[in-house]
This record gives sequence, structure tokens and C-alpha cells, in this order.
Amino acid sequence: MSQATMFALKPVLGALQATPLTDALPETVSGCYISDLLSDVLAHARPGVLWVTVQIHRNVVSVAAMKDIAAVLFTCGRKPDATIVAEAEEGIALLSTPLTSYEAAGRLWEAGLR
Amino acid sequence: MGVSTVTARTSVPVWDEQPGRRSVPLAQVLVYELRVRDAMSKPPVTAAPQDSLRSIQHLMKAHKFSGVPIVEGDRLVGLVSIEDIINALDRGHINEPAERHMTRNVVTLRDHYSLLRAVAEFERHGFGRFPVLDAGDRLVGMITRGDITTCLMHHLEKRAEEAIAHEAALVAARVADEKAERVVIRAPVRTGDYDSAGKVSQRMRQVLRERGIDPEVRRRAAVVAYEAETNIIIHSLGGEIVVTIDPDKVVIEANDVGPGIENIELAMQEGWSTAGRLPRELGFGAGMGLPNIKRCSDRLEIQSDSEHGTRLRAEIFLKRAGGAE
Repeated sequence: MSQATMFALKPVLGALQATPLTDALPETVSGCYISDLLSDVLAHARPGVLWVTVQIHRNVVSVAAMKDIAAVLFTCGRKPDATIVAEAEEGIALLSTPLTSYEAAGRLWEAGLR
Repeated sequence: MGVSTVTARTSVPVWDEQPGRRSVPLAQVLVYELRVRDAMSKPPVTAAPQDSLRSIQHLMKAHKFSGVPIVEGDRLVGLVSIEDIINALDRGHINEPAERHMTRNVVTLRDHYSLLRAVAEFERHGFGRFPVLDAGDRLVGMITRGDITTCLMHHLEKRAEEAIAHEAALVAARVADEKAERVVIRAPVRTGDYDSAGKVSQRMRQVLRERGIDPEVRRRAAVVAYEAETNIIIHSLGGEIVVTIDPDKVVIEANDVGPGIENIELAMQEGWSTAGRLPRELGFGAGMGLPNIKRCSDRLEIQSDSEHGTRLRAEIFLKRAGGAE
């Protein structure tokens, strides 16, 4: 991960219209991966990324933990149950935005996360 | 660290700075290491030059001292010994002030002297006690041979206890290591129980993290366990997952009671899925489960028929974090 360029997450929260659901937010992410298929994320997401998805099932948190994903951004205004948020392992931040995955991706790209 | 290098295997405690180096008896090490300030009694009981020899005699009796330093402020100006008191009683000046009869050229020790040097000074002068001065010539304590013996015994005991505790900790760690050699995580997996997916994988990851396994290897093992578990949840009539963690590898076995994989070759192709609507809505059924397992395993066997169900056995070879790629 050290060779990857780290991207500061907090400055783009405004542009993403993102609301943090967990207390802790990572300072930086190593990149971004967008998928709603868990196996696809298991296969392709790199550690430390921001994962953008519409899935709000408990398994999203499991998969994120397994792949050492830094943060999950739920799009289309979706938010997982409070119990799932509480289950998020330490070190995994959860966020929600009313934007679609496509719009969120566009804003992240514009902000320099490439 | 000095503490951890003391061993208690022999009856005489020894000091091994480095294995293979000549051992020196611990008591000998301590007389070099310990300083006069570690052994002296402090603060010193003192008297003033104007105090009567009688009052000093009482002081000696009360504290069982054989000598009392005489000070002005924190400066040592003399010493009244038991001999001075006997002479005073003999000659009838016991009620006179100390300053008239005290010893003025007092031999002192510095608080930073090693105990070895202190012992040598006792030998040389034959005194029972020395006043101790610090670098600023202030009287900071008194020292006797008895103080030195007590201090050495105390430190020998402490070192011995530390050595025994260290030895015990080593034994405990070895026992823990042996116990930790194999961990088996076994859990039943129920059809359609999407909420429980990942539980086995989570526990396995915990053990691997505690063992300092390379994060990349840890993630591969997690993917295999998770995909195997969700396969049972989505596709089978129920089964069991067994994760066996050995020092050199993780073996993940997923066994179900049926109905079996109709065409394994097809199932191994990316994108092929027989998952129903609900699992697909939840983000499962991407047709990547078995391909993911294959990609992340170092060894994989799958046996499946409609009679016995499916038996999957995946191995992931372990390496510690920081090891060569």
C-alpha cells in the first residue's frame, strides 16, 4: 500500500454530500472501487480503498473487513441498519450520500481520486 | 535488557550478557553496578555542634548507632563515635557540647562510589561507618558494612525473582505456542442464512492476525472461507465449514449435504451462476464464488455428486508478515 498515492477523504465529503455513519473516518484512502457484487469486490478491490455501493446488507461490512477496505460509501441515500453500523469493525468507516454511484464516482474523479 | 539475560538454571545466579560469553557471578556484577547511594541509610540522623555528648549518647542508644555525624546546615563538620562517648564518660565531659570533642577530620565516601570501592574503604580504614557526601559536599546518608550486605542480598533476591519470573514466562509462552499450533474453527452453515455469512471467516482472520500472518495471505484465506461459506448458504441444503489453522497452512473445508454441483467445469467459469433472485439482490450470485476460491487458494479440490453433496477443500500456505515475497 505504501507505493499507492494516498487520497485525503475529508476534503471531498462536501462535494459528495456524504454523511458519515460511523465516528471514525480514515484520513486517506488508497483508491476507489465501485461494485454491488460482493464476489467482485472480493476479487478486485485493493486494500485501503473507498468502496462505493448501493448494497446495505450486513455482508458489505464483512466483505469490507475481509479486504481491509478503509471506507464504504452507500449511494442513492441508502443507509444500513443501526445494528449493522454498530457491527462495522474498527477501522472501517461507513458513509452515505444521496448521489447515485455514477454521480459520486464523477465527483471523486473530479476531486482527483484517480 | 539486563533483567532478561539473567538465568536461574544454575544454583548460583549468573549473568550472561551475551550467550557464550564468560559468566561472572551476579554478586560480583552487583558490587560494580550498585552505588553507595543505593545502600546507604538516609536521611542521616545528625546532631548539631552545640548538642551535648550526653544527648548524642541517647541518640546512639535509641538508634543503635556507633557514630553520629555532626552538621551545620547540610555541611558535615565532625563525627562523634562510640569511642568518643566512652572517653567522655571516662574523663567526665559527657555533658559538654559535641564540638569540643568530636573527630574533625572525618573520612567520607561519595554517594556515586561503587559498592566495590566502599568495601575497599572499609577494609582500608577499619571504620564501622562512613558519612556519605554528594557531589555538592552535602551530607546525604550514612553507610555501614551491614547496609552493603543488606543491599546486596536484596538485589540478589530481586534478580533471582526476576530470573525465575522470566523463566516462567518463557515456559508459559512455549506452552501457549504449542497450544496455538493448531486451531480448528467448525461451524454449521444453514441454507439462506445470509446474516451469518462471514462469521467463520471473521474468526479465522482474528487468529491469523494474532499470529502475524502476512495481510495479503490473510485476505486470500478470508476470501476463500467467505465464498465457501456463502456457497453453502446460497446453493446447498445446509452443511458445515471447518477451518484448520496450522503454523504453515490454513485448510478450509466446506461440506454440504446436497444437492451437488451439476457441472463443476461450468461453475468454475466466471459469471456463471445458478443463484436465485434474493441472493442476487443482496449482491451474491455474481458467478465469481468458485473462481475467487480457485484464484485465492494454493491448492483446491472439489468433489460433488447429487448423492453426497459437495466437498470443497482449499489450502492456503501461510507466511508471516514481512517475510520475503
